[in-house]
Amino acid sequence: MNGISFGTTVGLLKNAVDGAGTSHSVIANNIANVNTPLYHRTDVSFKDSLAATLGTDADPNQLEMAATSEKHFAIGGAEPPADYVVTSQKDDLTQQRLDGNNVDVDAEMAKLSINSGYAQTMNQLLSVQYGRMRQAITERL
Amino acid sequence: MGFYSSIEVSASGLSAERLRMDVIANNIANVNTTRTPEGGVFKRQLTIMAQKLDESRSDSLDMNDSSKRLAGVQAVGIINDSGPDRLVYDPMHPDADAQGYVHMPNVEVVKEMVDMMSASRAYEANVTAIQEARAMGTATLGLLKA
Repeated sequence: MNGISFGTTVGLLKNAVDGAGTSHSVIANNIANVNTPLYHRTDVSFKDSLAATLGTDADPNQLEMAATSEKHFAIGGAEPPADYVVTSQKDDLTQQRLDGNNVDVDAEMAKLSINSGYAQTMNQLLSVQYGRMRQAITERL
Repeated sequence: MGFYSSIEVSASGLSAERLRMDVIANNIANVNTTRTPEGGVFKRQLTIMAQKLDESRSDSLDMNDSSKRLAGVQAVGIINDSGPDRLVYDPMHPDADAQGYVHMPNVEVVKEMVDMMSASRAYEANVTAIQEARAMGTATLGLLKA
C-alpha cells in the first residue's frame, strides 16, 4: 500500500479482522462436517504470524509523519506487511468417534464464539482508531 | 475471501442436514410399510455425507486460500440399510410368508429419533455459525458509519 502512513495500527487491525474471517470459515467448515464420517477437524492459527509482523521496518515508499521537535513521539513503522500467513493443520490427535470423525460441536461453538468476540473487539478498536483520525482531521471532539 | 464464503460453507451444512432429516422422517413414516414400488418390504435408508472441497484445488494444502479450499459438506447419496428385516408372526397378514411371518422394515423408531436429534442439533449449530458470520460482517460494515 502506498501513501501516507498512519502508523501500524490500522493495517494491523485490518489483518486481524481478515484473519478472524478466515478462522471463521475454517470453524464453520468443521461444524458443517460434524456428521461426515472420517472427517478430521482443521485447526487454524494466524495470531503468531500476525504478531511477527509487528515492529517491522517502515516501507521506504511511504511518507513518514514529520516531527518538528525532537520531543515528539516518533510514529514508527508503516503498514505491517499484508502477507501474514494463515496456517492450518489437520487435527489427528483428538479422540475420534466410532465413525472416524473427531469434531466436537460444543468445542467448535466455543471457538466460534471466541473468534466472533475477537473480531468484534478488533472492529471496535478499528472504529476508535478511525474516530481519532476523524478528530485530528476535523479538529472537533 | 469474505464473510459470505463462510456463510456458504454453513449453508451447505444446512442443506445436508435437512436432507438427512427428510430421509429420517421417511424412515419413520414407513416403519410399517411392507410393500414398495420396487417390490418387497421397505428398507431403512441412510444418507451418506462427504466433505466437499473445491475440485480445482483439491491437490493443494495451501491454506492461505482457504476460501477456495473449504466448501463445506455435501450429501453424496442415499443407501439402503442391508440389516435383517423385523419378523412379526401374523398369519392373517396378506404379506405373511408360508410360516406365517411378516417381513417388516428394519426401521427402529428409537434409533431414528436419536438420529433426528443429532441432525436437528447439527442444523442449529450451522445456523449459529451463520448468525456469527453475519454479526462479524455487520460490525465491519459499521465502520463506515460516521
